Amino acid sequence: MQQNIIPSHAGTLESSDLFVRILPKKEGGVSIELESSVCEIYADAIKKTVLECANAFGADGMSIIVQDKGALDYVIKARVQTALLRAFGMNELDWSVL
Amino acid sequence: MIQQKLRRSMLFVPGSNVSMVCNAFIYQPDTVMFDLEDSVALSEKDSARLLVYHALQHFTYKDIETAVRVNPLNTPFGILDLEAAIRAGADIIRLPKTDSVDDVLEMEQEIADIENRIGRQKKTMMLAAIESALGVVNAVDIARSSKRLMGIALGAEDFVRDLRTQRTKAGSELMAARNQILLAARAAKISAFDSVFSDVKDKEGFVYEVNYIKGLGFDGKSLINPNQIPWLHKAFEPSIEDITWAQEVLEAAKDSKIRGLGVVSIDGKMVDAPIIARARWIVDLAKASGVLGEEV
Amino acid sequence: MITFSLVPSTSTLRLAKIKEFLALFELECSEDVESFVVAKEDAKIIACGGIAGKVLKDIAIDGLYQGKHLALKLMSELLHVAYEAGRQELFLFTKPCYVEVFEDCGFKYITQAAKTIALMENHQNLEPYCKSLRALRVKGNKIGSLVVNCNPFTLGHLHLVKSACATCDWVHLFVVKEDASYFPYVTRLALIREGLEGIKNLTIHEGSDYIISKATFPTYFIKDKRKIDSLFTELDLNLFRNHLAPQLGITHRFVGEEPLCVVTHEYNQQMKKCLAQVGVMPSIEVVEIKRIYHANEPISASRVRKAMQDGDIELISHLVPSSTLYAIQNILKKQEK
Repeated sequence: MQQNIIPSHAGTLESSDLFVRILPKKEGGVSIELESSVCEIYADAIKKTVLECANAFGADGMSIIVQDKGALDYVIKARVQTALLRAFGMNELDWSVL
Repeated sequence: MIQQKLRRSMLFVPGSNVSMVCNAFIYQPDTVMFDLEDSVALSEKDSARLLVYHALQHFTYKDIETAVRVNPLNTPFGILDLEAAIRAGADIIRLPKTDSVDDVLEMEQEIADIENRIGRQKKTMMLAAIESALGVVNAVDIARSSKRLMGIALGAEDFVRDLRTQRTKAGSELMAARNQILLAARAAKISAFDSVFSDVKDKEGFVYEVNYIKGLGFDGKSLINPNQIPWLHKAFEPSIEDITWAQEVLEAAKDSKIRGLGVVSIDGKMVDAPIIARARWIVDLAKASGVLGEEV
Repeated sequence: MITFSLVPSTSTLRLAKIKEFLALFELECSEDVESFVVAKEDAKIIACGGIAGKVLKDIAIDGLYQGKHLALKLMSELLHVAYEAGRQELFLFTKPCYVEVFEDCGFKYITQAAKTIALMENHQNLEPYCKSLRALRVKGNKIGSLVVNCNPFTLGHLHLVKSACATCDWVHLFVVKEDASYFPYVTRLALIREGLEGIKNLTIHEGSDYIISKATFPTYFIKDKRKIDSLFTELDLNLFRNHLAPQLGITHRFVGEEPLCVVTHEYNQQMKKCLAQVGVMPSIEVVEIKRIYHANEPISASRVRKAMQDGDIELISHLVPSSTLYAIQNILKKQEK
C-alpha cells in the first residue's frame, strides 16, 4: 500500500518524556533509530513498543527516530501514536489501534 | 444521588506536561484533574489527549479519583477529548465554561452516547465549572440540571475578566460568586469547589484563602501546584474537639440502632440525620488527614 | 512559570531585548537569524535560541538555571519550530563546552574552531557524504583542490583551474551550493561545466552543506559585513581538512590571489595558516595563483556583474568565456523585455 507520510514529530526532550520523529523513506519497512538516556538494557523494550505502535497503524516506508529521556511505557505509546497520527494526517482516532 | 466522597484537593495537571502527568499521583490529592483545555497549546491538543488517555489507564491512577477537563464541545477538540477520557475510564468530566443548563444537558447527552457506544457500565460524573457572570446567575439551575453532576466549581480567572476586574488578596470581587455557587450546590445537594490560587510562592495568602472558603462551606479547592496539597489538607484537618464530638455522635447513632431506638440523642439533645452525616464527614476528614487511624 | 514565545527578527522591540540578553554571553545576534524562541519567567528573558535556515544558533541560557532542564525545554521548542517549517536536517552552533547538552538533544559533533565554537548536526549525512567522496578518489602524487562560487564563471576562473590542473595529477573542484549569489547555483554549475569542458584531469563536485555553506561558514554570505569572521573560516577549513580532503587524498588547495576583495584576501591568508598546520590529518599546501588582467584591472566576477549593470557587453566579452557570455546576453535580453 502506498502511504503518504508527512514528516512529523511529537513529545519533548524533557526528563520522563520522549521525542519522536517520523520521516518518510524510500525503502519499505519501518526502521527505528533509538537514543536513550537510560541504560541500554531498556533499548530492546523501547524499540519493541515503538514497533508495535507502528505495526498497529500498518506503517510502511518510514524511519522513526526516538530520543528517550526515561519515558514510561505508556508515555512512549502516547508519543509514538501522536507522531503516527500526525504522519498520516489523521484527525479521527481509531481506538482499536491505540 | 452521587456518593459524596472527600474532595478537598483537586490537582490540576496540564495534559502536555509529561512529568506532571506521570507523577501527580505521588502527591496524593483527593482528585487528579488532567487538563486538556487552557493549559494545553493548540498545537499539542492531540498529544495531550493521547498522553492523558494512556495515563488514565495506568495502574498508578487506579486508586485515585480522576477528572478530565475537556475542551468545549464547540471546538474541534471537545468531542475527541470526551471520548478519550470516557474510554480511558475517567471518573469525572469537568465541563469548561458552563453558562447555562443547556451546556450541561448537551454534555450529558454526549457522555451518554459515548457510554452506550462503548458499553461503559459505570456512569461518568460531571463537574461544571462556572466561569462567567451568566454562569453564576444561572448557578442554581445548573446545579440541579443533571443527576451526573457531582459538583460545581468556580473558575475565578475567567470570571473576574468577565466582571471587568481582577483578583485581589481580599477576594471581595469573588464574594457574590462564591456565595451563589455554594448556595446553589447545597440546594442541589452536590459539592462546591473553589478556584485556584495562582501565586504558588505565597503560602500565607493561600492558607488564608483556604480557611476563608472552608468557613464559607466549600468542600474543596482546585490547585495548580502539588506543594499546596499538604497546606490545604492541613487547613481542612478537623480539630480534636470536632473529632471527639463526631465520634461520640457516631457512637450514639450506632448504639441507638443496635437497641432499636428511633431517636438518637447526646447530652439530652436530639441528633438528626444531617448531624450524623456531618459527623461522618468529620471522621472521614480526620482519617484522610491522618489524625485518625483507619480502624476507627 | 516559564513561558515560550516565537519572536521573528523583524519585531525590533523584542529583538533589542534578545540582543541585550545575548550580549551577556558575549554572543552577537547573527544577522541571518529569522526568528528566535524565547523563554521568559516573570517577564524576564532566561533563555533563547535562533533559527537561520537549517541552522540553530545564538543559543543562550541564564546561568541561574542550572542543569539541563531548561536547555532541553528550549531545544524541544526550537526543534518543534524548525521541524514544523519542514527543516528536518539541522545544524547547530554552540560553544564546545556545551556539546554534551546538545548530544542529549540528538545532535552529533562535527568539528570546532578553537575553544569558541562547535558545529553539530542532527542527522548523519557527513559520513555518507565522505563515503561518496571516497568513491571518486583518483590516485596520484599531487592532488589539487579548489572551492569556487563563480558568480559567474570568468576567464579568471578558467585560468585558475587550468593552472591547477597543469601542475597536478588530478584536481577536485567544489562548487559552493548555497543560493545566496546573483547567479543561482544551477546556472553557476552549468557555466562552470561548460567553461571547463575538455580538461581531462578534473572532477567537478556538486557543493554540499559541508563546504562553504551557511552551516559551515555563515559570515561568508553576509556581504554587507565586509568582515571576515576568522572563527568560521577556521571551522570551515577544519571540516575540509579533517573530513573531506582525506577522502580524496588532497595535497594542495588552489586559490586566486585576491588584490581587491578583503574578505577573500583574508580568507586566503588564514587558509594558508590553517591547512599548513601539523595535525592528525596530513597538512595541505595552499597555492595562490596570480590573477589575470584585462585593461590593467584584474578579471573578477564582481567586475562582470558591475559591467552587467552598466550594460557593457563589450567589456564582458573580454572577461568571460563564450559560454558565460551567451548566458549573460540572454539574461540582459530578458531584462530588457
